[in-house]
Amino acid sequence: MMEKQIFESEIGESYTVARLDNGLTVYICEMPQFRSAYAVFGTRYGSIDTKFSKNGKPAVSVPEGIAHFLEHKLFESEEGDAFTLYAKTGAMANAFTSFDRTCYLFSCSDKFEENLGILLGFVQSPYFTEETVKKEQGIIGQEIRMYDDNPAYRVFFNMLRAMYKNHAVRIDIAGTVESIAKIDADLLYSCYDTFYNPSNMFICVAGNIDARQVLKQIGESVKDRGEVSIERVGFDEPEETDRGYIEQKFPVLTPVFSFGYKQKITSPYRRLKSKVCVELLLEIICGEASPLYKRLMDEGLINDEFDYEYFTGRDFAAVIFSGESRDPKAVAEAIKAEIASIKEHGFDKKLFSAVKCSAYGEAVRMFNSAEAVALQFTECAVCDYDLFEKLKLYKTVSYDDVLKRTDVFDDALSVLSVLSPLEDD
Amino acid sequence: MLENTTQLSNAAKGYFIKTERFKTTYISYNFYLPLDRDKIAEFALLPFVLTTCGKEYPDFSKLNFKLNKLYSASLSASAEKVGDYQLLKMSISVIDDKYALDGEELVVKAAELLNSLVFEPSVQNGAFSDEDVRREKRKAIEHIRGEMADKRTYARRRLIEEMYKDDIYGLPKCGTEEQVAAITPESLYKAWRELISRAAICVNVISGVMPQNIFDDIKARLALIDRSGAVTVGNSVQTKSIYAAKRVEEEMDVAQGKLVMGFSAEVDPDESRSAPFTVMCDIFGGGPYSRLFANVREKMSLCYYCSASGEKRKGLIIVDSGVEDKNAKKAEVEIIRQLEIIKAGNFTDFEFESSKRSIVNSLQSYGDHQEAIDAWYTVKSASREPISPEEFAQYVLKVDRQSVIDAAKTVKLHTVYTLKPKGEK
Repeated sequence: MMEKQIFESEIGESYTVARLDNGLTVYICEMPQFRSAYAVFGTRYGSIDTKFSKNGKPAVSVPEGIAHFLEHKLFESEEGDAFTLYAKTGAMANAFTSFDRTCYLFSCSDKFEENLGILLGFVQSPYFTEETVKKEQGIIGQEIRMYDDNPAYRVFFNMLRAMYKNHAVRIDIAGTVESIAKIDADLLYSCYDTFYNPSNMFICVAGNIDARQVLKQIGESVKDRGEVSIERVGFDEPEETDRGYIEQKFPVLTPVFSFGYKQKITSPYRRLKSKVCVELLLEIICGEASPLYKRLMDEGLINDEFDYEYFTGRDFAAVIFSGESRDPKAVAEAIKAEIASIKEHGFDKKLFSAVKCSAYGEAVRMFNSAEAVALQFTECAVCDYDLFEKLKLYKTVSYDDVLKRTDVFDDALSVLSVLSPLEDD
Repeated sequence: MLENTTQLSNAAKGYFIKTERFKTTYISYNFYLPLDRDKIAEFALLPFVLTTCGKEYPDFSKLNFKLNKLYSASLSASAEKVGDYQLLKMSISVIDDKYALDGEELVVKAAELLNSLVFEPSVQNGAFSDEDVRREKRKAIEHIRGEMADKRTYARRRLIEEMYKDDIYGLPKCGTEEQVAAITPESLYKAWRELISRAAICVNVISGVMPQNIFDDIKARLALIDRSGAVTVGNSVQTKSIYAAKRVEEEMDVAQGKLVMGFSAEVDPDESRSAPFTVMCDIFGGGPYSRLFANVREKMSLCYYCSASGEKRKGLIIVDSGVEDKNAKKAEVEIIRQLEIIKAGNFTDFEFESSKRSIVNSLQSYGDHQEAIDAWYTVKSASREPISPEEFAQYVLKVDRQSVIDAAKTVKLHTVYTLKPKGEK
């Protein structure tokens, strides 16, 4: 038995969402025009799930970076690793861990059924021993070191550390060399048993596949693991930031910055409409057609690395501007001034209609790629969105809807993080 | 896939690649010029200047506004080295007319826009505008500096510089910082004249329908230019093996060291005979089944990444890896040992077959990505009759073990570049 719902769109694409009795949610988009297909098996479990209780038992804390560690280890089973199985089909396989999800994925141009079988098999068969855990500590240690040298990654996490006092979003996704040293096989099993329950998981498939066959295969293969209730312990995060400015000396030649506004939030997740409005507002504030973008470019304060995003997930939300600049403080001040001006005078209606048009085009363009659709499904699964809702929203959101969202900007909650060149450079 | 080829002018071809898979039309201009020490920086800057302003759009805010109104039409520019040639690309991607909300003509408008940017730059009295050149030079210099901060890219670039000290291929793809700084509005204009008159040109149109008149427009524009001296793209000079490998060590303020090794190889420039080289490189350091991944990373836990990539035109293989300094020597010995295993024919059938399957899988997926199709035909445009990814896949399937061994036997260590964390000897 399963519940099934079909969604249609005006651009000729449609998709199915099914909820299985064991709680698993499945998203499928048939895209027969393509040669290949893409599948993701994911769990609502990421780096911020560091303290939780299962089935009403007392809450436990686990080492930072364990979700990512588990991702690495799940590829192994008693018989060998999943990569060996994929090698026999030619599929490309990978996995990633973010703040609020862990996803295992593959893409293939042939043998979809066999590949899906491999994916369903290894994600449901944990196998951890003290020996294999120890070996992985070496590899992940090198991954952490690699990120330590990555300026974009460093400046971003420094900013999060200054912005959040308690929320686990401030911690590197892979943890630290010290924290992962505390991970053992028992801890991995305990996290697996909690979060890798079908009721906490989702499967997203897009591309050249037959939806009915895929659903049948998933229905037969994904085991019911009994009901589980997970309570994620809150972070007791205050409204204010820890610091407004953070700087680190780093081997860069041009300073690198990340400038963010922490948002006061009252619910764990943001609605899609408010996300869309904030994103449109960002285009108006500093998109490539905006007056501010031109000023910053003309004054030599930003380059093509300049970027911005609405960064939000469970119990956190922030607007972040990032890039390289000879003078990050001047960039931050210019952004603040532009926002103040928009709060007071509003914005150009012609620009508003152009950025809406552009966002609509982007939403259509996503269907150029089965991979993009499958990954967007993971967002739908974690945040409970409809894939086509954006297309509708870009046509309906009003000037006032967007202007209202200037409320996400409070100068008192802004944080500037800078990586500045080493003295001897 | 390749529907037809149109001769646009002397050494200028238009390819129409018909495909119904996408919601967008993609058009790219590709200019090939032999690498030239004195002009490399000017040529590399041109695509960026030309795609930020033009005669019709002297101000990049207005250009970006126009792109927004074309439903997020996206303009891109790049400058790459392809063997001993410089490849300068300008492209536009736009959603097809049927998705426009008010029946606007998008594809033709986007094609006209790109044509006007390429052929009608914002120029006065034989020079680009001072302001535009200054801005783009600054961005280019900051980009060069930014690449130095990315240690993986930096280490690979340093290897190439060291390996090709006396070869034109050793030049950085966008020139040096000093060369960029020396560009003037006049010298850039001269370079643009040379670009449109002397470069070998290939224009790719990837779409469900051929946009009307596009090749006729380009033909008419090129007819006004004297292209009698246009170059044709020939073979590049292959890397010569050297007797004793060169070693270069540098120190930097980094957490993780980098080990990059360059090898010379003999590769047949004929497409149909180069497949064994492709398979050999992949067995060596391609997917998770490869010798380097399975041994250096998985068995020995020495690094998070260790992979090999081949550049056929130059007869070059690069192995790169992020390793702790204390493990660098061990990793280097192991990498060489893995190559020797392939030379001796001691790779397994599993590795051999997995590699072929993986390459074929990826070749079959090319048609699902417009940019991949574009990249494929851009590079193949130098051949008299470009083969499709599927045709190359047939050659890969025919590769036998002995031809892999023969290809490996031509591989010789040329240069080892090590980036060490400061203070560790």
